Amino acid sequence: MSNRVPGSGRPSGGNMRKLKELMHQSDNRTCADCGAPDPKWASANIGVFLCLKCCGVHRSLGTHISKVLSVTLDDWSDEEIESMIEVGGNSSANSIYEAFIPDGITKPGADSSHEQRSKFIRSKYELQEFLKPSLRIVSLNTGRSSLQTSISRKIMDTFRSTSDTSRNHQEGMVEFIGLLKIKVLKGTNLAIRDMLSSDPYVVLQLGQQKVQTKVVTSNLNPVWDEELMLSVPQQFGAIKLQVFDYDTFSADDIMGEAEIDLQPLITSATAFGDAGMFANMQIGKWLKSHDNALIDDSIINIIDGKVKQEMSLKLQNVESGEVDLEVEWLPLDQ
Amino acid sequence: MVGLDAAGKTTILYKLKLGKVVTAIPTVGFNVETVEYRNINFTVWDAGSQDKIRPLWKHCYQNSQGLIFVVDSNDRDRVVEARDELHKLLSEDELRDAVLLIFANKQDLPNAMSAAEITDKLDLHSLRQRHWHIQSTSATYGEGLYEGLDWLSNTVANKKSNPIKYKQHETQLGNTNNNISLVYILAWMWELVR
Repeated sequence: MSNRVPGSGRPSGGNMRKLKELMHQSDNRTCADCGAPDPKWASANIGVFLCLKCCGVHRSLGTHISKVLSVTLDDWSDEEIESMIEVGGNSSANSIYEAFIPDGITKPGADSSHEQRSKFIRSKYELQEFLKPSLRIVSLNTGRSSLQTSISRKIMDTFRSTSDTSRNHQEGMVEFIGLLKIKVLKGTNLAIRDMLSSDPYVVLQLGQQKVQTKVVTSNLNPVWDEELMLSVPQQFGAIKLQVFDYDTFSADDIMGEAEIDLQPLITSATAFGDAGMFANMQIGKWLKSHDNALIDDSIINIIDGKVKQEMSLKLQNVESGEVDLEVEWLPLDQ
Repeated sequence: MVGLDAAGKTTILYKLKLGKVVTAIPTVGFNVETVEYRNINFTVWDAGSQDKIRPLWKHCYQNSQGLIFVVDSNDRDRVVEARDELHKLLSEDELRDAVLLIFANKQDLPNAMSAAEITDKLDLHSLRQRHWHIQSTSATYGEGLYEGLDWLSNTVANKKSNPIKYKQHETQLGNTNNNISLVYILAWMWELVR
């Protein structure tokens, strides 16, 4: 797709294979900084394999200290792969970067807090405090300026951790497994909320994410034909669908709701893997039951290499109304 | 909002949304939030940018009025890659009318390139028929972000009131205008009743 280093060319398949082999070497099966299992990220210039959380800290150091890439999601240049191979993996890198860990400093573990992790990683790579004493770089000027920045950073860090407290620690920390493209097609026989009609729009909510369609004015059988997108995290619940009547001067009135169970779609899509490998076929079903909103069984299909599911939902807690949707699943393989 | 990985997009999004610095892991997927500023709601898509995710960007820029491209000013090695990615985006049909705001982010790092240097390296002067603006930012310290949004909202608003475009708008949506005047009348009556 893009050459990371100009003129270096795309990595050959063979080189990518070498990188994956290196990743599967036993010392690289745990994160170089916290020991979490199964790291899939790496610092290409330092030569270590990292878990996602430590990788977040590495990125905050700046690329002059650590250049982070995903082994599975990024294209690597030949130079980057060769330098990883040259370092030889986590054990040999740590024999340098963790040669002398002073008493009183413990390495973070897989469940350590961000603050502990961040402190250790900065000491290890930015300040290089755990090198063999003879290897430590002690240029007075740079030493002073980096000391200054490190002090100002420490101040910022304390400031951050106090202002953060424990509220909303999730932002920017969610791992997504895929995207849903939801085409809201139409509504049928919706409830009347104004004098003679309604001005309906649809809201979809998944966790904290909320997206909505445009308003169709004065129509009980609206055609929205609008595509909405939601990111699906590893721990996901049902999508909450709500239809509202838009009002100019008062709060919008609810016109019914329904829940969309994502489990059948995601489970069957995951079981089949790369949908592009299969001809058009049915791969699963979300079954109509007395405790869901389906009007009929909803079939999950592979169509032209895409995983799609059409569904008609009977709106709940309302006099009448149905909504038709078409859902497409876009997995983010890691 | 797009840009190469580790440029600072998620940090910018949540600095704007929550006014604080969050610790971001790489975004594998998309974060979406509505940010309100000066009575305007910005729906901001923060798109993950590992190479294999970039093809999915096209799903989130339909109907976008503005594109925010974030650059890591400290990453000299990849500014060429950033330039190529930006120019590829700008050739997309869906982004034909989008105005372009560039955040030259991470200005707090020691070796950051200036906005002028990045303008040059991204080849921004070669852009024709595109409203663009470059803004130096430091998401961690919250500098420059609102200045960028100021430009974005003003430019999108000015584009809308551009007389030629407005005329087209009027003929297409003649009906809507009636609705708007009706709303004004209702609002006026409402005031009288009160």
